Amino acid sequence: MIALVLRRLAAALLLLYLVLTATFFLIHLAPGDPTVLLAGDRINPTVAERLRTVYGLDRPLREQYLTWLRSVVIEGDWGVSLHNGRPVVDLLAGALPATALLAFSALLVQYAVGLPLGVAAARRRGAPADGAIRVISLLLYSMPLFWLGLMAILLFAYAWPVLPPSHMRAVGAGELGPWARLADLLLHLALPALTLGLSLAGGTVRFVRNRMIEILEEDYIRTARAKGLSERRVVWVHALRNALVPVVQLLGLSIPFLLNGSLIVEVVFSWPGLGRTAFQAIVARDFPVILAATAFTAALVVAGNLLADLLHAAVDPRVRRA
Amino acid sequence: MPIAAAPRRRAALPAGLLALSLALWAACGPAGEPAPSGEGAAAGPRRGGTIVVGTITDIETFNELLDTSSRAFHDVGYQMFLHLLDEQPDFTEHPPSFAPELATSWEWSDDHLALTFHLREDAVWSDGVPVTAEDVRFTWEAQTSPEVAWDGAYTKESIEDVEVVAPHTVVFRFSRVSPTQLLDALEGVVLPKHAWGKLPFSEWRRNADFFRENLVVAGPYRLERWTPQQEIVLVRNERYFDPEQPYLDRVIFRIIPEKSNQVTQLLTGDLHLVEQIPRTALPRVRASERVRVEAFWHRSYAFILWNLEDPRFSEAEVRRALTLAIDRQQMVDTLWGDLGRVATSAIVHHVWAHDDSIEPMPYDPARARELLAAAGWRDRDGDGVIEKDGVPFAFDLVANQGNQERIDAVVMAQEQLRRVGIDARPRMLEFNAMAQSLTEGSFEAMIFAWAMPTTLDLRYAFHSSEIGAGSNFSRYSSPEVDRLIEEMERLPEIAQAEPILLQLQQLLHRDQPMTLLWESQRVNGVSRRLHGLDANVLSTVWFLRRWWLEPAG
Repeated sequence: MIALVLRRLAAALLLLYLVLTATFFLIHLAPGDPTVLLAGDRINPTVAERLRTVYGLDRPLREQYLTWLRSVVIEGDWGVSLHNGRPVVDLLAGALPATALLAFSALLVQYAVGLPLGVAAARRRGAPADGAIRVISLLLYSMPLFWLGLMAILLFAYAWPVLPPSHMRAVGAGELGPWARLADLLLHLALPALTLGLSLAGGTVRFVRNRMIEILEEDYIRTARAKGLSERRVVWVHALRNALVPVVQLLGLSIPFLLNGSLIVEVVFSWPGLGRTAFQAIVARDFPVILAATAFTAALVVAGNLLADLLHAAVDPRVRRA
Repeated sequence: MPIAAAPRRRAALPAGLLALSLALWAACGPAGEPAPSGEGAAAGPRRGGTIVVGTITDIETFNELLDTSSRAFHDVGYQMFLHLLDEQPDFTEHPPSFAPELATSWEWSDDHLALTFHLREDAVWSDGVPVTAEDVRFTWEAQTSPEVAWDGAYTKESIEDVEVVAPHTVVFRFSRVSPTQLLDALEGVVLPKHAWGKLPFSEWRRNADFFRENLVVAGPYRLERWTPQQEIVLVRNERYFDPEQPYLDRVIFRIIPEKSNQVTQLLTGDLHLVEQIPRTALPRVRASERVRVEAFWHRSYAFILWNLEDPRFSEAEVRRALTLAIDRQQMVDTLWGDLGRVATSAIVHHVWAHDDSIEPMPYDPARARELLAAAGWRDRDGDGVIEKDGVPFAFDLVANQGNQERIDAVVMAQEQLRRVGIDARPRMLEFNAMAQSLTEGSFEAMIFAWAMPTTLDLRYAFHSSEIGAGSNFSRYSSPEVDRLIEEMERLPEIAQAEPILLQLQQLLHRDQPMTLLWESQRVNGVSRRLHGLDANVLSTVWFLRRWWLEPAG
């Protein structure tokens, strides 16, 4: 097991290095230049030239790459945002808690909705309930996330105004007591987390349903039923445990989707997270921020995959022995 | 990333990068709390209250010289920092006038090369330190430092020195006379030397947090709290020199990147002001009892840039044909309705120096075909596209992604140009890539817009010296226009330049270096309880200190 982890870690580090190097050259070769936006309203070439000198963007690309690599690897310094002059690490660290909270809550919604609905549909295969669940999950799965978000705002913040449509806190929430502040935060979290979670749940429902249908037809399930076990026990204990193996893997692999989705949700609901920070950096060609955000997301994805493998090994003894 | 037309007088790229359809509004009913009676407005200004303003972008820095997105800083920053004089948005009938701000009076030397400002003695920074002539000189040093690389540094090119002659008297010395001298001296807010002079200029671009941590202000408001990507909270600066104003105690800018979400919150009463209501959302906003709509003409105008270095666009007659072939009135009717009008001049229609005698060229495809034929463009192979010397008249017409009006306009232009045998292929570029092709001159034709500078400077867009080094993106070169622009730049007062400006507008109309498309109105949605806005072409929040809130109920 330890050897497996070490092997995977080494591969992950190499992968990270390759991803970052490729990103470095790609963003520098892509059309557009950070100084164009920095140079102000008139896109003044003279100012742009001055800025290139200030930020060292006028030096050969190879030299810029080595400087950046040295500063990141040796000094652990990710640099300063070209756009707002703040340290990149501070920028990302400031945005991380909001994204982590959103992603974790969405994940809860995804599985709290996806698992029971998937199992319920599989048990009633072919019945109207199955049909309804399949249609709903297909809708959730295929609806553009920003549209789902706008609809949620229209319904729950406008037509029936029960939830706040944006931000993490209400105006003046700073003066509230600790419990009221927590309640305020949860209220503000509701719409973005439900939107992202439900959108992801669509796929989970379908995945769990299909897996459960396969499993419910297997011999050992027939044996369990023949032994006289209750249907509830057969489904929720014997079948679901096996169905969970790939679902656990899916959890690790869903991190990229979660990050992708949180970007859109963050914009629609004014949630101050990493996705928005990264998106703004890309538009502005803010190289240091793009690279650090890429490193962070790539590390998360790699860690997610690693975790998926390890969890898989934990729930499936065959993998451990292999 | 949205770039809005900046309230400062320099030219700016208008925004609209976030334009999601709001058609879905039609299905939903209003939330409906009772609206204020409106009777309280008659009582006149009163002090107190908090308002919440929706804004698309967050502030990036608290130092104007490091700001890149103009819009966010200007709305918030100009409430905290002051200019020497306050440019007034009154240039409909005459050149803009100026109201005293940090300076109470100013005078010129006989040779018009030295400008003396007398500063008010009761202005202090929020830490109690007086605002002095030293601050004014320090500001000029920072503005012109290559290490700071301020994007407005060009406005200071003719200023040789800023001399402190007494604690509250400062003299600007110019190398040449020009009609923009006063505006050049005024450009940029005055910065606190005692607080910010501690950080060497070479460190400014790497230390944004320094300016927030050492933020002292002289304006009507000071920063109470900033939560990145969430909100900026301003409170009344008790040390502001005017004891009467501002009226509002607190102004909260809530950052909401999604426009339709802003409109929702305006209608539910969570926001008191949303700027630039999308046209599709207007019926809903107009129907609301809680909100009123305020529309005003802006300084921006949209146009198609032709790359004149491309031989197909190098002849004025061909460019006239292109303008005649595009139905601009239909474009305005479709995209803007009564909020737009066909643009006829680089000096927009509500400015004192606008040439009213220029009529928009009509939509006349028959005449366009004649002009093109006379220039040698004919469809010889019968494929529907005209050619000359074997080269078909086909090109890419670029617009930037996310700007729906421009994308729609490009598609309309494609259809209309096809009718005269021109194949204009719509091509959408991401903003940054588009900007690069503009500065490199690697585009063929592009739809673009900017805000007219209130200096009425035409050099940046039309003088041949600005090709490749400035914003003459169409690469237009006319000795006659160059000479007139230079002649105008030697006058001491812009008011004297009217005959030259009229002549320039006629020449540009004749040469059509760009096909002007539209001017449009900005529409703000404002709570009926909020009064005194006086939104104007400089900025909606320009006069924030005079806003006041009618009590609820």
